[in-house]
Amino acid sequence: MAFRMWKKAVLMTLREKKLFSVFTLIYTSLIFITSLFWELAITGGIGEIAGYFVLIFLGTSLLLSLLYAWIIVSRNRRTWATLKCIGYTNKNINSLITGKILFTTLMGFIIVIEVLFHYTAVVGYLQSAAILVSLPLTLVGLLPVILTSFIFILVQMVAIVLANRKILKVRPMIALKKVGE
Amino acid sequence: MPVDKDTMIEAIDVNKEYRRSGAIIRALADVNLTIKAGEFVLVQGPTGCGKSTLLNVLSGIDLPDSGKIIFDGENIARATEDRLSRIRRQKIGFVFQEFNLIPTLTAIENVESLLWPTVLREKEIENRAIAALRDVNLLERKDHYPVQMSGGEKQRCGLARAIIHRPRVILADEPTGNLDPESEKQVMDLLKKIKEDMETTIIVVTHRGSLASYADKIVKMEKGAIINIK
Repeated sequence: MAFRMWKKAVLMTLREKKLFSVFTLIYTSLIFITSLFWELAITGGIGEIAGYFVLIFLGTSLLLSLLYAWIIVSRNRRTWATLKCIGYTNKNINSLITGKILFTTLMGFIIVIEVLFHYTAVVGYLQSAAILVSLPLTLVGLLPVILTSFIFILVQMVAIVLANRKILKVRPMIALKKVGE
Repeated sequence: MPVDKDTMIEAIDVNKEYRRSGAIIRALADVNLTIKAGEFVLVQGPTGCGKSTLLNVLSGIDLPDSGKIIFDGENIARATEDRLSRIRRQKIGFVFQEFNLIPTLTAIENVESLLWPTVLREKEIENRAIAALRDVNLLERKDHYPVQMSGGEKQRCGLARAIIHRPRVILADEPTGNLDPESEKQVMDLLKKIKEDMETTIIVVTHRGSLASYADKIVKMEKGAIINIK
């Protein structure tokens, strides 16, 4: 049943095109930049400062994840109240919200991996023709990307807890009020 | 617990008060009401008379301050939130004045959504949704989004969602409040047909006197109290 709820969460997320696109783009950028600085921190490319940048980007991701959770709950209060009226438990609604948040993060991770694969493919192809030989074949190693994504998912857990607490406060009676009341 | 096996819902000495801007508003005052299985009940009264509050407490959306609500043999006035959710999912269908369809889901998905948190298979849920949409003459609109439907169609979709699980009771809060007279007749005729075909108890809250002909019982309210039942 939880699997079905997550599947439906994915469906509902994809239909909210604007919100989904904006936050997927934000997560993609943050995962990419954080991974890049993590790579630089590991290789010592720009010294100690890279580590600080990693922390700044992780902090930013925490704030944006909380914002995303807040938007998901607040923008759809009437929907959640309606679902409570028709018999959804808080747990059912939490499954939908958890699915929405995790799916968006996962998409960010997949896009970053995709971009890095394409980068390597393009640079490898050009270098076979002796063009752009100075560029590294791998922009960011797989380990920093996986570590960053793992931490991003942990950050999402904080957002999910916040969303779950907010859902408890959504009263089903909201569904019976007139729009704008 | 029920006094009569034909009794579907019984409200016993129900009281409910709200605080608004420091003032105490008595929304329900010693309400006693018995609704039998298969009855079509209209709850009427002026705005603010407590009819929506009555609907809320009868369905467990809101809890009374005192008194009992015996729903299908169980006192729901002191039930847990999870238990109330399950009762609503299994035994109650809701029809809203503002339709309350999820805008990002198609008509059939909206109808199916009630059964998502159940153990039923996807195919079974789909078949039931198709049957419910056919019952309300909306099958040809099954892939349309709420924004692509008229008010009457949205309400029929809401009605399909309310019957997909074959509830014992349908609660409708001003179901025709946002509809033109033709759509109003369609929706009320459908509610009557559902009552007859499925032996469902129907409780409609409305301020429209014109709907009286559909009812087996009319409950009139004023200032939180039932002033007349006929």
